[in-house]
Amino acid sequence: MGCSSSVPARSTGGLNTINSDASSATDSKELRAKLVLLGDSGVGKSCIVLRFVRGQFDPTSKVTVGASFLSQTLALEDSTIVKFEIWDTAGQERYAALAPLYYRGAAAAIVVYDITSPESFSKAQYWVKELQKHGSPGIVMVLVGNKADLHENRSVSLQDAKEYAEKNNMFFIETSAKTADNINQLFEEIAKRLPRPTES
Amino acid sequence: MEGGGDSFGSSTAPLAWHDFLERMRQPSAAEFVKSIKSFIVTFSNRAPDPEKDSAAVQEFLENMEGAFRAHTPWAGSSEEELESAGEGLEKYVMTKLFNRVFASVPEDVKSDEELFEKMSLLQQFIRPENLDIKPEYQNETSWLLAQKELQKINMYKAPRDKLACVLNCCKVINNLLLNASVVSNENPPGADEFLPVLIYVTIKANPPQLHSNLLYIQRYRRQTRLVSEAQYFFTNILSAESFIWNIDGESLSMNELDFQRKMDSARERLLGLSADSENQDNQANLDAQDRKSENLKANRNSDARLSMKDHVQGSGQDMRRDSDVTVDGKPVERVQSISDIEKKGAAELLNDDELNKKFQEYPFLFARAGDLTIADVESLLNSYKQLVLRYVALAQGMGVSPETTLAQSSQPPSDLVGSEEPENVNDNEKSEGISKTSDDVISENDRPEALDIKTSEKMTQKTAVDPNDDLEALKDEAPCQPENA
Repeated sequence: MGCSSSVPARSTGGLNTINSDASSATDSKELRAKLVLLGDSGVGKSCIVLRFVRGQFDPTSKVTVGASFLSQTLALEDSTIVKFEIWDTAGQERYAALAPLYYRGAAAAIVVYDITSPESFSKAQYWVKELQKHGSPGIVMVLVGNKADLHENRSVSLQDAKEYAEKNNMFFIETSAKTADNINQLFEEIAKRLPRPTES
Repeated sequence: MEGGGDSFGSSTAPLAWHDFLERMRQPSAAEFVKSIKSFIVTFSNRAPDPEKDSAAVQEFLENMEGAFRAHTPWAGSSEEELESAGEGLEKYVMTKLFNRVFASVPEDVKSDEELFEKMSLLQQFIRPENLDIKPEYQNETSWLLAQKELQKINMYKAPRDKLACVLNCCKVINNLLLNASVVSNENPPGADEFLPVLIYVTIKANPPQLHSNLLYIQRYRRQTRLVSEAQYFFTNILSAESFIWNIDGESLSMNELDFQRKMDSARERLLGLSADSENQDNQANLDAQDRKSENLKANRNSDARLSMKDHVQGSGQDMRRDSDVTVDGKPVERVQSISDIEKKGAAELLNDDELNKKFQEYPFLFARAGDLTIADVESLLNSYKQLVLRYVALAQGMGVSPETTLAQSSQPPSDLVGSEEPENVNDNEKSEGISKTSDDVISENDRPEALDIKTSEKMTQKTAVDPNDDLEALKDEAPCQPENA
C-alpha cells in the first residue's frame, strides 16, 4: 500500500471540546467539519488522511495512535479556518451496513477507490448511491482514485471515473498517498466547497 | 487522547471533582445546591420515560452550566474551570439519578439479557478470521487488556466514567494495532483494522448490561461533551453492538447451517452448565444449612460460609438467564468454565469437616471492617494483589476469561459481609444504606485513569468506589436523597 510507515503526527488541537463549540458560534471564520471516509478495505483511506495530516503539521506536535480518527486544521486564502474531524470507516463488505452510524451528520464524504481495482470502483459507486439516499442533505461528496502512482497497473480509466463523478455532481481527483500527489488539493477543495455559516 | 480526548483527560481529574465539591459547600453555592436537589427530587418522583428523562437532564445541565458562568462561586472562572464544574455537576446529578434511570424500562432490561446471551454463545466459537482480522494483527493475549478495560464499565455510575472505560478499551486496541503494524511493517492501522478488533474484544469481554450502559452514556453524557474523538470511538462501540445484534452466518463468513449448529451447541453447553450448577447450588445450600446447626459454632466462620454461599448463588445467576429455553437435560459435552470449577470446589468445601483449617492462612477472611487497622491495609492490599494475579493467571491457564465476580467481590468489605446480592454492583442502596466505611479521600481514585498500557498491573487493583459519600455537605441540607423517593 502506498502509505509510508512512519508514525503520524497530528494537530494538538488545543481546543477543549466545549470551547470549540462555544467559539465556533462567535468566530464565524472557524468552521468545524466532520468528514467521513468510505471505500473498500485496502484502497488506502487512512493513508490519504495520514499523508494530509502529517504533511501539513508541525512535526513537534503530539503523536497519536492509529489513524481511524484524526483531526487537522486547514487555513484557506479567504482566511477561513477549517477544522476537519476525519472519521474512517471499516471497508470490508460485512461492515457495510454500519456506515450510516458514521456518516450521519457528516459535512463531507470522501469516497475512495483504488485505480488498479475495478471492484473497488464498483464499491465506490455503491457508496455514492448510499450517500445520495441517506447522507445529510447538502453533504459535500468527493470521488478519489487513489494509488495513482501505480498507473502502469491502472484498470479504472480516468475518463470513466471523471464521467461518473460529473454525472453525480461530485468533485473528482486522483491521488497518491505514497507520493503525496494531490493530497492537499483534495482537502483544500473540500474546504472550499463546505457551506459557510450564513450570518455575518 | 487528544481533541475530544483533551477535555476528557483533564476536566474531571480527581482534583477537579474535589474542587467542585468544595465550591458546592461554600455558602454562596446554596442556591445551586437547592436547585440541584429540587431537580433530583422532582425527577425521581416521575415515572421512567427514557426520552423525556434524557431531555430533562440535558436541559438541566445546560441551564446550570449557564448559571455557573454568571454566579459565585464560579463567576470569573476560566473556561477550563467552568468545564470542570460542568463535569462535576454531571457526575453528581447522574450518580444520584443512576438507579432511577439506568435500565429503567423493561425493553432495556430485556435487550441486555438478549445481547448478553448472544455474546456468551458467540464468544465460544468466534475466531478473529471470522471478522477479517489479519493474522499480523491477531493477538488474543494482549486483547485481554482491552477486555478488562471494557469490563470495568459497570464499576462506575457517572456517564463520563463509563465512557472512559469504552475509550480506554479503544486506546488499548489502538496501541496494540500500532505496535503490530510497526513490527510487521504494515501501514498504520485505520478503521479496517480497528473495528473488527473492537467487535471481537466486545464479544469476548461481554460486560453485563452493555446495551443499557451504552444507552445511558448516549442519553446522559452531556451532548456538548460527547463530540469529536470521544464521539467517534463511542460510535464505534455502538456500531460494534449493532453488528453483534445482527450477526448471522453470512456476517461471519460461515455457512448459515454451520453457524446455527455452532450457536446450538454453544447454547447446549451453557444450558448443561446451568442445569448442572443449579443442582449444585441447591445441594450446597442444603448442606450449608445442615451444617450450620452442627459443627461450625463460631460466628466468624458462619460469616465466611454465608458469603461463600452468596458467591455460589451469585455466579450461578448469569447462567440461569438461559433457563427459559427448554432444558431437555440432554447430556452435553462439558467444557468447564471458571464458575463451574468454582462451584464444584465450593460445594466440596462446604462438605469438608476441615473447613476451618483450610481458611486459617487467610487472616482477613473472617475480619470485619471495624477489626482492621491502618497497618493492615498494606498487607491486605498485598494479599489482594496476589489473589487477583493468581486468579487471572489461573483463568488464563484454563483458557477462559476471568469473570467479573472477583472484581465485584473485591468491593469494600462492608459489601462482602452485609450485602445479600454480591452480583449486583450497580445497586445504589447498597452503598447508600451501608454504614460508610470508606471516607471522602478514597473517591479521588474513582475515575478510570487515562490509560497507559503499562497500567495493566494497576488494573487489577482498582476497585469501584462510589462518589456518593462525598457529598456530605449537600446531603446535610435537606431530606432529599433520590433513593428515598
